[in-house]
Amino acid sequence: MKRILMAVLAVLALGALGFSAEKIKAGFIYVGPIGDYGWTHAHDVARRIVDEKYDWLETVYVESVPEGEVETYIDQLVRQGCNVIFTTSFGFMDGTLAAAQRYPNVIFAHCSGFKRWDNMATYMADFYQVYYLNGLMAGALTKTGKIGYVGAFPIPEVKRHISAFTIGVREVNPNAEVHVRWIYEWFNPAAAKEAAEALIAEGCDVFAFTEDSPTVVQVAAEKGLPSFGHYSPMYDFAPDYVVSGQLVHWEKIYEDFLVKIHEGVYTTKNLRHVDYWWLLSQGAVEVGAKPGMVINPKYEDVLKNYVIDHPVFGKVSVYDLVFIRLAQMGDPGITFDPFQGPVYDRKGNLRVPEGMWMSYDALITMEWAAAGIVGPWPGEP
Amino acid sequence: MDIASWLISTVSRALAFGVPLLWGTLGEIYAERAGVVNLGVEGMMILGAFTAFAVTQSTGNPGLGLLCAAGIGALAALFHAFLTVTLRANQYVSGLALSMFGLGLAGLLGRGWEGKPLGTPLPSLTIPGLSRIPVLGPMLFQDQTILTYIGIFLAFVLWLLLFRTRWGVAIRSVGESPGTADALGINVTLVRYLCVVFGGLLAGVGGGYLSVAYRPSWTEGMTAGMGWIVIALTIFAAWDPLQAIWGAFFFGALYHLSYRLQAFISPELLKLMPYLFAIVVLALSGFGGRRIRRRAPGALGLPYVRGER
Repeated sequence: MKRILMAVLAVLALGALGFSAEKIKAGFIYVGPIGDYGWTHAHDVARRIVDEKYDWLETVYVESVPEGEVETYIDQLVRQGCNVIFTTSFGFMDGTLAAAQRYPNVIFAHCSGFKRWDNMATYMADFYQVYYLNGLMAGALTKTGKIGYVGAFPIPEVKRHISAFTIGVREVNPNAEVHVRWIYEWFNPAAAKEAAEALIAEGCDVFAFTEDSPTVVQVAAEKGLPSFGHYSPMYDFAPDYVVSGQLVHWEKIYEDFLVKIHEGVYTTKNLRHVDYWWLLSQGAVEVGAKPGMVINPKYEDVLKNYVIDHPVFGKVSVYDLVFIRLAQMGDPGITFDPFQGPVYDRKGNLRVPEGMWMSYDALITMEWAAAGIVGPWPGEP
Repeated sequence: MDIASWLISTVSRALAFGVPLLWGTLGEIYAERAGVVNLGVEGMMILGAFTAFAVTQSTGNPGLGLLCAAGIGALAALFHAFLTVTLRANQYVSGLALSMFGLGLAGLLGRGWEGKPLGTPLPSLTIPGLSRIPVLGPMLFQDQTILTYIGIFLAFVLWLLLFRTRWGVAIRSVGESPGTADALGINVTLVRYLCVVFGGLLAGVGGGYLSVAYRPSWTEGMTAGMGWIVIALTIFAAWDPLQAIWGAFFFGALYHLSYRLQAFISPELLKLMPYLFAIVVLALSGFGGRRIRRRAPGALGLPYVRGER
């Protein structure tokens, strides 16, 4: 009897120590090659940053994993001894959930999805605020009044980005249009190039995009036109023409999540409501041509000289407006949101009433197009 | 929307996008004319793309980069020739293997080169005088690199070579009936080797164009299926270098228009257009296109063993 009691106590003691006593071996499953210089590249940069920072952490990764085969790769990582697994594509969602149910002692985190479990959290760093800030600059820079936007797929994430961008454009230039072309691929440089060329042929003179290569930046620069980088710092591709852009810091999320596991805050039992939706104020995303450079110095003067009569701030230069809005969204007590009502879609319907903000659910399922967007919009309500 | 601007952008983009297709197709035509199918075009192109980028970035000389790309393409093709001509392996299997191998190897070697802009890309030309002609000037003589013009010129030369010289007769007879060619004293093995290697050389340049002129930068998998379009274009061109010119540029135009027309036609439909077109051509050549089928080299895909029929 005594022996049994001792054994039970020992087990309880071990259980109380839990994960914190162990080393963490985290496995990352990527959908693309780590060299895409876009989505997967950014996740891998973050993985290396946290790996180097903590000696209790070991990381491994597999790349270019087909979305249907994620479970097989999870099996492999579990066999290799991973006790935390990150899956970084929307299409991995159901496979990750199934694996989480099969491996109740492993912690899972799925990026960009919405299904969770006791041992499965979700996380996402979203750019819509950053796109809005880029839109302010783009609206001031266009001479033709037409801004080109190359989108990957017409899904809510990309539509949200384009609408936020367009709302920024229209705030400083109420008559400007954002012309959109879709390439139906996350990574296809040739498609991105021809889409950008088509937009140039139609008279667009400033460019932004959501796809995983620096192609649009390069095409625009060839013609001497300004653009905004996406995902990775693209300043080096065209130092004279990259005005600003969207930068991600996945390491902020990875670090927070892994440290909390290490400290025993997160366990295999309490992740059902853990959902990271991190934005500017958490430092998970950044506005800039490269880290630390919010606006390319070459464009400071033209943005300072572009003064508008703003309904809230009165006479203000776009340069100042960018930093005002950045401060409003960057401080922990956020006082502004791009989708702050009243917001109308391009068909004239009121989408966000005066004084309201959009809910998280409304944001991640958003299908409508903001006023000012021109071009095809599959699935438009 | 004025017609001139549409014409200019469509033709100009068709040329720019069609260049790697043209080079690749010309090469594949030669290999297949000699009776060897090489499905490794995608692999040879991506190896060429990586090599051209790495060499140009290191030396600052895009010409040298393209030359090395040609060399690598030729080397990869030599591998295919050895397997299929000397060892008489299945041409389709060997070609597929070459494509996968090329994609993998280029991705591996390219790790450190990702995400870096090319300092010295192949310059775009503005041809003095000609570029000033209204409409035609911006359409044909601006924003193109030298490879556009060399490619077209090469197509004419290769057509002459194939159909107007003794060498051409030798190549075609090796592809039609290697036994007969052998009996006539033509070195079947040598001809096949030369044609396959030449095909790889052109594919390498086509790939190099992507990374030092069209993009210009290196990313893993940047050929994105162009090698497979080349295979279709070879059939579409009915193994004729001159038809390859308009085939490649027509495909380029379709590709460009599939983005240009998005404002008017559903993008999903447009995205299908170039591929739909390829399927239609293949189907037509199967149906009534006897002429096309007749032009396919008779011994295409078959290894040659002396004394066997």
